[in-house]
Amino acid sequence: MIVAEKKPFAQIKQMVQDRKKIMIMGCGTCVAVCMAGGEKEVELLASQMRLSNKLAGKNVEIIEATVTRQCDREYMESVLDKARECDAVISMACGVGIQLLSDLIEEIPVYPGVNTRFIGTNESEGVWLERCMMCGDCILGETGGICPIAICAKGLVNGPCGGTNKGKCEVSSEKDCAWTLIYRRLEKQGKLDNIRAIFPPKKHGLHVNPIRQTNEAYLHAEMEEAHHG
Amino acid sequence: MKAKRAVRQTKKLLEEVGVDPARLKMYNIGASDAPLFAQAANEMTEIARNLGPTPLKKKEKLA
Repeated sequence: MIVAEKKPFAQIKQMVQDRKKIMIMGCGTCVAVCMAGGEKEVELLASQMRLSNKLAGKNVEIIEATVTRQCDREYMESVLDKARECDAVISMACGVGIQLLSDLIEEIPVYPGVNTRFIGTNESEGVWLERCMMCGDCILGETGGICPIAICAKGLVNGPCGGTNKGKCEVSSEKDCAWTLIYRRLEKQGKLDNIRAIFPPKKHGLHVNPIRQTNEAYLHAEMEEAHHG
Repeated sequence: MKAKRAVRQTKKLLEEVGVDPARLKMYNIGASDAPLFAQAANEMTEIARNLGPTPLKKKEKLA
């Protein structure tokens, strides 16, 4: 899941300070799960905005909306007309949702209500851990399902380095050494030989921004349709 | 636990907005602890008195 955190209120307030009608739009998927931009967080931010405006003696209309997924066009249709009636929209979705919303209502400025941080898992109540760096060249099959690029502070694909210390990382004693975790996992799987494998340098060329992915099946269907008229 | 967390979070939200978080406090009081309830109510009254009227109401009156 994509993990985000709410921006400081003062920053959000400053971004929309001169607007008279503002929509706060949440997303019901990743950012709702990590408690940064779901329906509940939209309600809380809206309440804060109302209180703050009242204290400042400002008359600002705040509208709330939350869609199932702000990164998918089909979920957005229902709220676009309302959004177009506003002076500004604060999107509580991840950076993807914010950009898609801005593409769909180009004439209305869209401001981010959250900072998008990483792709990760929920480790315990209120704690999330980065798990994937989206390198586009996955080696999890060889590393016991633990990603050294995301978990190792140095992102080493051949480890551990000399800084490993009783299962912890030299960067911080609170960080696990990714390669110790990988060793222990491979040991459990009876695949310790994997640790001897030398991985070539990562193909960073695979990650030239912005990446565009096409599903071949759809591409062929489109071509056939064009061919047969 | 959940309520405690919600109160802590709400205090933070109020502070960000500019409302004194001391206006919100949580007490754990059993249904049979009437004296404790009265004590808490008195304490909150005292806190509210010291803080003065809520700034939100002031603005309302001005408008």
